[in-house]
Amino acid sequence: MSAGTPPLPNPPAKPQVKALHCPQCGASITLRSFQQAVTVVCESCHCILDAKDPTLKILQQFQAATGELLPLIPLGTRGKLRGTDYEVIGFQRRSIESDGVRYDWHEYLLFNPYKGFRYLSEYQGHWNDITVCKDLPVVRTGLVPSANYLGEIYRHFQTADATTGYVIGEFPWQVRVGERAAVTDYVRPPRLLSCEQSSGESTWSVGEYTYPQEIWKAFNLPGKPPEPIGVFENQPAPATVSVKQVWAAFLALTIFLLGLMAFNDMVASKEPVFTSAYQLNPGTPKGEASFVTDVFELKGRTSNVEIKTSANVSNSWIYLNYALISQDTGRAWDFGREVSYYSGYDSDGSWSEGSRHDTVIVPSVPPGHYYLRIEPEADARHPLISYTVAVRRDVPVFKFYGYALLALFLPVLYVTFKSISFERARWSESDHPILQSESD
Amino acid sequence: MFNQLYLIYGFLVLGSVAMSQYRGWSMDTMNEVKNVPRSIRDNPGAYRSIYSSYHHYTGGK
Repeated sequence: MSAGTPPLPNPPAKPQVKALHCPQCGASITLRSFQQAVTVVCESCHCILDAKDPTLKILQQFQAATGELLPLIPLGTRGKLRGTDYEVIGFQRRSIESDGVRYDWHEYLLFNPYKGFRYLSEYQGHWNDITVCKDLPVVRTGLVPSANYLGEIYRHFQTADATTGYVIGEFPWQVRVGERAAVTDYVRPPRLLSCEQSSGESTWSVGEYTYPQEIWKAFNLPGKPPEPIGVFENQPAPATVSVKQVWAAFLALTIFLLGLMAFNDMVASKEPVFTSAYQLNPGTPKGEASFVTDVFELKGRTSNVEIKTSANVSNSWIYLNYALISQDTGRAWDFGREVSYYSGYDSDGSWSEGSRHDTVIVPSVPPGHYYLRIEPEADARHPLISYTVAVRRDVPVFKFYGYALLALFLPVLYVTFKSISFERARWSESDHPILQSESD
Repeated sequence: MFNQLYLIYGFLVLGSVAMSQYRGWSMDTMNEVKNVPRSIRDNPGAYRSIYSSYHHYTGGK
């Protein structure tokens, strides 16, 4: 047995059970927490009985259909929670009302004769493991109140009046249906600090968000737990993702990327290997327009080749069918480029589109001797067009860095968006719907 | 876990960029032709580019 506590007696022995009968209906009453029980509820007639009274004096009777509300963990179920054996001895439904809507949650009272009481709360599939605070938290008032508990700051989430609506089992306090308490919750995911005030008495408890699978495993419950709905107030952000760390990684990778870009720009030869100027007179009778350039040499390793075309086009275009041809191997890269530039003035002001320059990168060209075959075209109505063709070897392609930056940024954007959505969903149910959690 | 995966992914992206730069890759579209005849230098019109039927944009507002 872990945690230094002896196990609960095996079910066949059950020496702790004290058999009693309800004074109202005669149904048998089971007391599981020895002398700790202050009130006990008859499951048959819903009488709340004084467990300290030998005759089980009736304290209250409430209306509820038999089996109206069945606990997900039946009373008497035993399980091992955080290394300690506990038995479920009490169950209650509590609720708050907001904007005319009632929100119910359920609380399970757990008991271990050596460790005392512990609670489990369940709201729409979200579970919390709750214990009474060991120290009194210090509340700080202000625009957003907070509470300091054991050196950790919890932010105020919600204050509401909770009403007890249904009880069964036994309780170490004077439980009553209809009992009201002001409940103030402070959160620091995955923990929750809660203050209950009633009849001038304050009780502080601290809870930790517990995944339903852990509860099912701890109490060996059949089937699967109900799926949690929405985001609970102290539910931790999706596991394994820290937005701050992802942003830090993005920043580091961006610095690496900029360094890589600077390095590649520095080591790229950018060697001019050919430049020539030409003219095209579209109005002249059409003969064979294509021609070839002089042969130029591309040196070094297999690398790219940049071909830059500049033309004095104005409200016109020139189209060039290019082929970069290897004189040595007969291999060719065939492509077409257009240079066009238009401008004018209208009711919106001046406008322009296009450019008088065009750049294309031919990929992975082995070293050797090359020439260009150029076949220019232009609109026959336009006058003489002058254009130049410049070829450079091994140039940096900055587009790659742009796309790489985008590729690095998209996962960060996704994680940030998910985190913001999660926190918004959390705080939308609070008294401070615009706040964001500091947990991440 | 996500952070480690993101770092691995990030370094793969950086590696791809470095590789693309070193190998001289490009994002421009072009057609590669093999065994172009040597006679093109004497008769450039004998070669027909697949881009010669390109529809030209005559822009402007």
